[in-house]
Order: sequence, then structure tokens, then C-alpha cells
Amino acid sequence: MKLTRREFSAGLAAGLAAPALMRSAWAQGATIKIGMCVPVTGPAAEQGLWAQNGAKLALAAVNKAGGVLGKQVELVIEDDQTTNPGIVLAFSKLAAQPDIVAFLGSIRSTQVQAMAPDVIKVGKPVMIGGTNPDLTHSGNPWLFRFRPNDNYSGRVIADFGVTTLGKKKWAIVHSTDAFGTAGGKALTEALTKLGAPPVLDQGYANQSQDFTPVVLAVKQSGADVLGTYFTFENDLGIFARQLRQLGVNIPWVGSPSVVAVSSTKLAGPALFGTYGVADFAEDSSDTAKAFGKSYRDAYKTAPDNQSAWPYDAITILSAAINKAGSTDPNKIRDAILATQKFAGAEGEYNFDKNGDGLHGYNVVKNDKGKIVYDKHIDFND
Amino acid sequence: MDLVLQLLFTGIGIGAVYALVALGFVLIFRATNVVNFAQGEFSMVAAYLMVVFSVDLGWPYWLSFLIALAGMALFGVIFNLGVYYPLRHRTYLPVIIATIGASILLSNSVLAIYGPQPQVLQGWFDTPGIQLGPVYLDSQYLLIIGVTILLVLFNFWFFEKTLLGKKLQATSQDKEMASLLGISVPTMIMITFIYSAVLGGLAGILVAPVLFVSIQMGSTIALKAFAATIIGGFGDVAGAIVGGLALGVIETFGAAYISVPYKDGFAFLVLIAFLVFRPQGIFGERVAEKA
Repeated sequence: MKLTRREFSAGLAAGLAAPALMRSAWAQGATIKIGMCVPVTGPAAEQGLWAQNGAKLALAAVNKAGGVLGKQVELVIEDDQTTNPGIVLAFSKLAAQPDIVAFLGSIRSTQVQAMAPDVIKVGKPVMIGGTNPDLTHSGNPWLFRFRPNDNYSGRVIADFGVTTLGKKKWAIVHSTDAFGTAGGKALTEALTKLGAPPVLDQGYANQSQDFTPVVLAVKQSGADVLGTYFTFENDLGIFARQLRQLGVNIPWVGSPSVVAVSSTKLAGPALFGTYGVADFAEDSSDTAKAFGKSYRDAYKTAPDNQSAWPYDAITILSAAINKAGSTDPNKIRDAILATQKFAGAEGEYNFDKNGDGLHGYNVVKNDKGKIVYDKHIDFND
Repeated sequence: MDLVLQLLFTGIGIGAVYALVALGFVLIFRATNVVNFAQGEFSMVAAYLMVVFSVDLGWPYWLSFLIALAGMALFGVIFNLGVYYPLRHRTYLPVIIATIGASILLSNSVLAIYGPQPQVLQGWFDTPGIQLGPVYLDSQYLLIIGVTILLVLFNFWFFEKTLLGKKLQATSQDKEMASLLGISVPTMIMITFIYSAVLGGLAGILVAPVLFVSIQMGSTIALKAFAATIIGGFGDVAGAIVGGLALGVIETFGAAYISVPYKDGFAFLVLIAFLVFRPQGIFGERVAEKA
């Protein structure tokens, strides 16, 4: 066989180009990529680790079941450093990668708020865990929430305290960040509607080393029940201990952090007998139980909402992309919004037009260190 | 009145913590003329060492305490040789930046080794505190206040009455002259780093049962301790103590009587006021006089 000069040149060119072409084809089509902004460092690094654990667990399950659109799913993680500039940077790094089809954002409302303008610019779906109601109610079409918002938690805390515990003299203690401020406001509104406006509304700055002035304010207010919105478990632990030391033993109904695994461990007996609203309660459904078991098997510890919401987010997002049959952002968006009666670890997802998936909370009690499921309260409005 | 007493007690308690960390700042500043921005991380490292020995390995508390402090002494040597010594002939700026770099390295190393979960460390006493009339006295805060008083007395005796203390003082005042007098300046600086690391470590171990053991525990305290050092007069041992206590009391009372969310703001308002009106601090001498 005789090879002409032209054939030789063409063959050489094809031979040289082939690996690059194959690499490019592989890069474009080998996996479906999902970006995740998560605190790996900073004060919420612990929450970030739980979130990564939950997301990875869901990812493994999705990939085992055949992946998305016939491809394996890959998670691309960026550290948001638990700061607003950090998450803006992390999100922009991820957004610069065109093959990332959707993102998981933060559980911290403040940080979701910080990245929200960029989310609109990028125009791809972002799954969030921040519970400030405004996040999904201010016209941003790309934010989808995988936890109930604080309008619901405020109503459940108020309803449980007033109706079930029969307490009407409330002291509210909340963080002054976006989450705590909105939570405190929602609780105040819910209590006022029930005819029990709070006697004390006390904010505190995150990462306080001493809560004595807050505890003394609660004590002096003469409140007979305490409602709280704490952002960080470490703060909650210090507050809980000082509260009990200074002799305040009134009933306490708090936002999810009061029954988080870390708070329960840090504060110990200081949190015994407290009630919390929890989006994730292991005994609330079969799906929650199954998630709890697989999490324990994988990580040798009990899960809480920090890992339950990313687990649901990956599961629902993957199902939505499969249903959409495409990675087109608008088609994924429509498919997520069309998700109804989906049994997740956090509860039953019925997405509304704002992008809120869950509409109620579980009430749980800390029974000598064990978190016991009491009841689930859902709202239709 | 009950309220005032309660606030005073916790204000002094938390102020004593700031004071202990501030002391570490002052000692290194006096010896080297640089601010060690990793001082807070010294406290964090010691608290984690304590968790490893006392909780993870289950060794007796007192033994864990002694080993953790010995570990901090070694840490002081490594820090001096790794961060200060290679840059000792440069201006103060590279050294300061090196300490900032070291603080980031330390917190991220502990994060990588131990993970981000905050840990619980028990205090010395079984009883959490005592009720004295209307005031609740937290046993750990009582211990912190007691240790601070002892350290003030020890420092006074050590620096004023002992030969080693005087050598350290001479080194901090004029290194060249001290060297001409036969004092080994590198050794004196090494001793200062060791003492400062042990002191920072002691503060971390003492405060851990109150604030829990976390990666951030050092940086949040160090920021206040730094402010305390400036208020007291940079380089002044008594100033660090008074500055720390004053800061603790001011922020506690400010929070109780003016606004809780602005608690940290009061500390820094006082700091700014000092920087504007009395930059040499409460006890500091005027820079012009020193020159």
C-alpha cells in the first residue's frame, strides 16, 4: 500500500487531533455537573460538613440508580468561607464553568441574600436551605427552597406554645443576621395574631462569648415561655448553659438549631425538656427513617436538617432533570416547580410558584438528650 | 443592685480571659517589637490538645493539663524558630504578616486534622457554680479570675525580682545593649515565645469549658484581647490586665443597659476613643518621651 503525501498529512493531523477531540467530547458529555457553595472553613464549617455528607449520600444513590440523563452526576464544591464575600466568590467561580447545570446554595439566609443578584444574572437553578421568607418571595425565579420558610416556623412555634403549652407571655431571642431577624419578626407576627404579643424581643450578634445580658433581660421581662431563633449551635450552647445557670427554667420552643445534633451534644442537660420545630425529624416518615439509617451507616452519627435538605435537593433536582429530559435551565425550572407529593427526608415536597417546596414543620422534644418526634403541622395558605 | 453585681461578675470573668490573651500579646511585643496575630490561635491549639488528651485518650485531667502546657512550650519554640527567627533581621512588617499567615495556617491545620465540630471540654470542678445570695458565680469564671490574679503577682515578681526577668526586660528595652552586657538575646526571645505560648494556652484551656472548643474560639477572643492591649498601653503588663478587665466590664454593661446587638461595638468604640485621645493607652508612656 502506497501512502500519498496528502494522505499522510491528513492522517498525521487526525492522529494528533484525536486525543484532544476525545478529551473535549468526554469533558462535555461524561458527567452532569452540579455546583455546591458550602462553608468548608469559617464558623459554619461544621454545618458545611453535614451538608456535604447529605449531598454526597444522595449523589451516590442517584448514580447507583443510573444517574441523570444516562450520565453519572458529579458534585463540584467551592468553599464559601461562611462569609458573604466568600459565597459571592465561590458562586462566581462555579458559574464560570459552563458545564455546571445547577447549584446548591447555602443554608444561611444572609449568604443566599448576598449571592441572589448573581443568581439572577447566571439564570440557572439554585437549591437553597436558607429559611428567610423573602429569599423566594422577592421575584428571583431561580431560587428553590428545600426547607420550610420561617413564616411557617414562626406560626408553628407560636401555635404550639400558645395552644399546646398554654403560655402567653413570650420572650423572643434571635440572632441579628438575616435569618434571625426574619424569624423573630415572623414569630412576633404569629404571636400577635394569637393575641399574645411578646413582652421581650431581644436580638444578639452572632459569635457572642457571653449571653449574661440577654439572659438577665429574659429574666427581668417576667416571660413564662421562651421562643428563639439561633443561627449557630455554638452560640446556642453557651446561651443555654448560662440561661439555666442564672435560674431561668421556663419552657423553651426554638427554631431547628435548638434540636440540632451539635446543640444537643454541646449544651447537654441545659437543653433537656426544650421543644423545637424541626424540618427534619427522623421518626416523621418512612423516607426520613430510611435517610436516617443510610446516613448513620455511612457517617456513624445521626443526621439533622443540615444534611437532610441537601440530600433532598440533589434527589429532587436529579429527578427534575430526568423528567425535563434536558439540562436547559428553563426546562429544569419548570420540572422542579411541577414537583408535587414528592416524599423527601424533610417531608412531602409540593412546590409553589415562589419555589418553596415545604409548607410545614415537625414539632420535636429534647427528652433527656434524645430528640423525640411529636407532631407535624402543615399549612395550605 | 443584684443585676449590677451579676453583670460585674461576668464582665470581670470574660475580661480576665481577654487579659490573659492580652498578656501574651504584650510579652511578645516587648521582646520583639512585633504584634503576634497568632496569639489567639495559641489558645485554640491548647484547647484542642486538651480535648485530645483528656477526652479522646481519656487521660486524667491534671495530667492532660500538664502535657498540654508542655506541648504549648514546645509549640512556642517551633513558632519562634519557624515564624520569627528567619525574619528577625527584617523590618517588623514581614514578621507581622508571617504571624497572620501562621494564624491562618494553624486554624486550617486544626480544621483539617480535627474537623469542624465544636467539642465539649469539662472544667476543673464538678459543680458548675455557686449561688451567693442573688449572684450566681460560675466556677470556671472564678477559676479564670483567680488564675489571672496569680499571674499578675507572678509576672510582677518574675520581671522585677528575678535575674531572668530582668534580663528579659533588658532585652525588650535595648537588644544591642543587652547583647553587649552578655545577655543572649535569641535565648531571651525564645523564652518569651515559650512563656507567651504557655500563657495563651492556659487562657484557651481555662475558657474552653465556657465557650466550647472550636476553630474560631481563638480569633474571637484575640480581637478583644488586642483591643484590650491598646487600651492598656501596648507593651505594658499591668495595662493588658486592666485593659482586658475594663473591656469585659464595659461590653457587659453596655449590652445590658444600652443594646445587646452592639455589644462588640462598645469595645471598639472605647478602642477608637483611646486611639484618638490617648494612643499610648492607660499606662503607656508617650512615644515622644520614650524617644
